[in-house]
Amino acid sequence: MSPEARPERWSGTIVALHWAAGAVILGLIALGWIMVHGGLDSAATFDLYQRHKSWGFVALALTAGRLAARFASSSPQAPASARWERRLAASTQGALYLLTLCAILSGWLVVSASPLPVPTRFFDLFVIPNIAPPDPSLFAAAELAHRLSAWAIAALVALHVAGALKHHFVDGDDVLRRMLPRRRRA
Amino acid sequence: MTRQSHVSLRPSLFCSALALGMLAQAHAPAVAATNWRIDPARTHIAFAIDAIGYPRTHGQFRQFVGRISVDFAHPDRSSVSFHVQSRSVDVGSAPFDDYLRSDAFLNSERFPSIDFVSNSVSKVDDHTVRVNGQLTLLGVTRPLTVDVAVEREAGGGQRLAFLAKTDIDRLEFGMNTGFPLVSRDVELVISSAAVEL
Repeated sequence: MSPEARPERWSGTIVALHWAAGAVILGLIALGWIMVHGGLDSAATFDLYQRHKSWGFVALALTAGRLAARFASSSPQAPASARWERRLAASTQGALYLLTLCAILSGWLVVSASPLPVPTRFFDLFVIPNIAPPDPSLFAAAELAHRLSAWAIAALVALHVAGALKHHFVDGDDVLRRMLPRRRRA
Repeated sequence: MTRQSHVSLRPSLFCSALALGMLAQAHAPAVAATNWRIDPARTHIAFAIDAIGYPRTHGQFRQFVGRISVDFAHPDRSSVSFHVQSRSVDVGSAPFDDYLRSDAFLNSERFPSIDFVSNSVSKVDDHTVRVNGQLTLLGVTRPLTVDVAVEREAGGGQRLAFLAKTDIDRLEFGMNTGFPLVSRDVELVISSAAVEL
């Protein structure tokens, strides 16, 4: 696509989905850490697990929506950064999509293959089916993948945020601004 | 969270003579029966169970009917029974309670009652009686022996406090869900108090 045909900024849908998914994913990581390491009692832990599962499916919907919106619309022109920076940014963003999907699907597998089958009730509205039968070895593998991808997402989000701040404060370009909600004109 | 205690008791059934002779006053005269009744507010049927990578789960059953009959002169004629409504399980989280009521654990719809009925009671020492009985859970009946600590309490009127602790093997009753992630042993702690009428 020629630079002239590219939009100046991300569409409103992409911006909204980006920040919503970011908030939900960071919330899920925090919730996941608290429910495992927070030292809460059994009842509170159970409730947090159920919430974590429901929000995980919200993250899946948001990520699917993001991918669809991303492929359906053209992206703004890449900034005039060094080639390695552009590559690093693109790899980080691609890896974040992949790891998010990996974390969600491995989480779904953890729930499904668990030797203790607790039904996943999406915000207590309906039951989400399992995608595998109970299987201790699959459960252990999925749990490891879930934990590793969560930590990797946390690390890559830090890198992603650092890159956005560097663009804004060091390079002085509009990379961060074009992912912010559009300001209403006075 | 407000917890309500719904304890159905039949006071008349607790009016049997309490055999203090089984307890501290081993040689008390076998005089006329003394009437006692269980204090619902001080009766708790509690349980605890462990799971790997998960905090210990503590819970209670809120609804039950209990009968305690203690014969002063003839300890072996004493008896105890508890009929617990399985759906009254309370671990402090409504979704968790619902899960425990499901067929994964208590299967409350099919097995609404958990029952303990004594066969014999014998004195162990001045503060302990041994109760042999049958526990029925998920429709499976297994023998269960429980040592019950009994204490006379000071204060106005006559009061007795009972405390029984035992472990049951849930696998023996066909409650296999989550094993070995969830332990097979369930600790039961039953505390109760009887008041002289």
